Amino acid sequence: MVGVVIVAAFVQTLVVLQIENRRGATAAAIDRALWRHENQLHLGRLVVELESVHRSCLVTGSPALRAEYGRLWDLYERTVTLLPQYIDEPDAKRDLASLDGLIREWHLDASLALMPQAGPGLEASRWLEAASEPRMRLIRSELDRLETRERNRLTEQRTTANRQALQSTLLTLGIPAVAIVMLLLLVAFVARILLDPLAAVAKSARQISGGNFDVSLPPASRDEIGALVHAFRDMTTAVQRRQREVTVALAREREQSEISAALRTKAEREHQRLLATIETVPVALVIVDAASGRIALQNKAAGMLVGHEPEGDAEREAYWNAFRVTTREGVPLSVREWGAQRLMLGAVIVGEELVVHHPDNREIPILVSAAPLRGDDGTIVGGVVAFQDITSLYEVDRLKSEFVSIVSHELRTPLTSIKGALQLLLDEASSAHPDHVMLMNVALSNTDRLVRIINDILDVSKIEAGRLELHARPHEVAEVVKLSLQNVEQIASGSLITLTSSIEAGVPAVHVDLDRTIQMVVNLLSNALKAAPPRSEVTLSARRHGDDFVAFDVTDHGKGIPPEKIGLLFQKFQQLDGAITRKARGTGLGLAIVKALVEMQGGCVSIDSEVGRGSTFTVTVPVAGTVARSQ
Amino acid sequence: MKLLLAEDEPDVQLIARLSLKKAGFTVVTVGNGREVLERVGTEQPDVILLDWMMPDMDGFETCKRLKADPATGHIPVIFLTARVQETEVARALALGAIGCIGKPFDALTLGRQVMALLAT
Repeated sequence: MVGVVIVAAFVQTLVVLQIENRRGATAAAIDRALWRHENQLHLGRLVVELESVHRSCLVTGSPALRAEYGRLWDLYERTVTLLPQYIDEPDAKRDLASLDGLIREWHLDASLALMPQAGPGLEASRWLEAASEPRMRLIRSELDRLETRERNRLTEQRTTANRQALQSTLLTLGIPAVAIVMLLLLVAFVARILLDPLAAVAKSARQISGGNFDVSLPPASRDEIGALVHAFRDMTTAVQRRQREVTVALAREREQSEISAALRTKAEREHQRLLATIETVPVALVIVDAASGRIALQNKAAGMLVGHEPEGDAEREAYWNAFRVTTREGVPLSVREWGAQRLMLGAVIVGEELVVHHPDNREIPILVSAAPLRGDDGTIVGGVVAFQDITSLYEVDRLKSEFVSIVSHELRTPLTSIKGALQLLLDEASSAHPDHVMLMNVALSNTDRLVRIINDILDVSKIEAGRLELHARPHEVAEVVKLSLQNVEQIASGSLITLTSSIEAGVPAVHVDLDRTIQMVVNLLSNALKAAPPRSEVTLSARRHGDDFVAFDVTDHGKGIPPEKIGLLFQKFQQLDGAITRKARGTGLGLAIVKALVEMQGGCVSIDSEVGRGSTFTVTVPVAGTVARSQ
Repeated sequence: MKLLLAEDEPDVQLIARLSLKKAGFTVVTVGNGREVLERVGTEQPDVILLDWMMPDMDGFETCKRLKADPATGHIPVIFLTARVQETEVARALALGAIGCIGKPFDALTLGRQVMALLAT
């Protein structure tokens, strides 16, 4: 490419140089022609002057003129000697030589005529006319001819020079024109070779910028353009790869955002559902923000504590500040100390009873549960507090207490009378009819049973209410055994069952509530007596159980209890195999009470039973510490 | 031995009276605490058996007043109550009573229980 340009420039230079050369030659030729022409004219003039001087000299004979003539002739000689150097053409040389010959002939005659002996005058002029005149005419005509020819030649050379000048101009202008054309062709060529791939690259670049990456690039040549195409192709590949990555990433991101949008929607739905649930549950719910200590959310039930719902944050704040809270016993407490501190430590508060004191002096008992709310990082950011107005529960509790009171007093009072009357009657029944005595005994035993049921119910209700108080003191095991046996003696004596007892030697004293311990043992003995078949034996034995306990075992030889029924034994109002044992009905509360009483005293109850062989119920009670050590 | 029995329930009063009479007591019966205070001066009982819950004036109030009066303060008082719990017993003892007998009482042993408490 570059080479082509250099060659073109070189060619142009050569052409121009050659043209300039020719122009230079032509100009030199013109100069020579001019000079020749000038000399020829000079020669002509010299000839005219020679003749003129010669004529004058002839006429005057003046030596000065003669000298002048000589000088002119010398001049002519020099001129004519020089002149041939400037004449290239052979014919011109020949013409000049013949002219010179004519002039010399003329001069020869003229010189002779000037000789002093020839003298001046008519003779001379005659001679002139006769001898020199024809020659001079010939010379003149020859000079004219030569001069004309020179002029023509000069004109011709001028024309040539002009033509050459034109040529030169044309060439000077034309070569660049050709060069331009060549350059244009070169450009076109370069454009094809160079710009086409560039254009293709540009087009591809536009396509790529337009987002179309499926571009085809021209085959790469092995030059700079090829390198460019290669580079561009590499770049395109890289961009395509990047684009694919971006597309994949975008698709993934879109997918992610769709998923997160779906999750958001779902979460929103769940949130709405939860809000609706929170709003509708009858339990008051309050969510407290730990940072601000303010209520973040409360439901309708929370706002309805005093019958109307507060609106707006300020009213809500005032609403909650209006309450004073105490424990059930009336001890004032700070909600902050009671709840906030525990919640911030991560504690869960379950079912605590508090009393809200309303400004209008109403007292609203509430049952409160609360749990901390944790943020994403596990720190506690607040708490949810749930509470319920348990006025109605208090009312129920009051009614229950009232009922228990009625049972304990109003129901037992008539029973006391019936029992007392029957006892007094039976005491003086020696004269009565045996059937009457039997009937009075039926009435009395059933009265006893009613009293026991009432007592058991009272015990259970006390146990459940947590109002059963135990007063543990050290007691000898023998005392417990003796008093327990005394209690059931009457029942045992009425049956054909042998009641025996044994106390392990060295058994320590126990630390128990005597009445309640006797109650437990009696309950077990009563059950055993009921379960025992006639003429069998029921035994009560006391023994040491480990270092810290004394065990009371009550064994019968009844039917035994199937393993699957054992779990039912300690439930309230459960009576096993009722149909058969009906004749010695219990309350169904005995074992439940035993379990509660023994556990309240730190012991436990267990059962070892085998169907067909009988059962052993065992209660353990703690050893009296000091007594245990002393023995 | 003369015993003043305060019991508002007529049936219970009757049973108790018969039971105590059978055990050898001379029994004077009244229906409430106010009557006890009215009759105690004239009857001069050796022991007073007070029902815990009575209309007009209950056993506690009666006991408090009996003990507060130097003329009657020396007479032993026994409570007859359905609430035979240690706290109640302790409360009764704190008032100056010598003990409690649970309701329903055993009609056959009531006299013996009274004698036992008097003996302690």
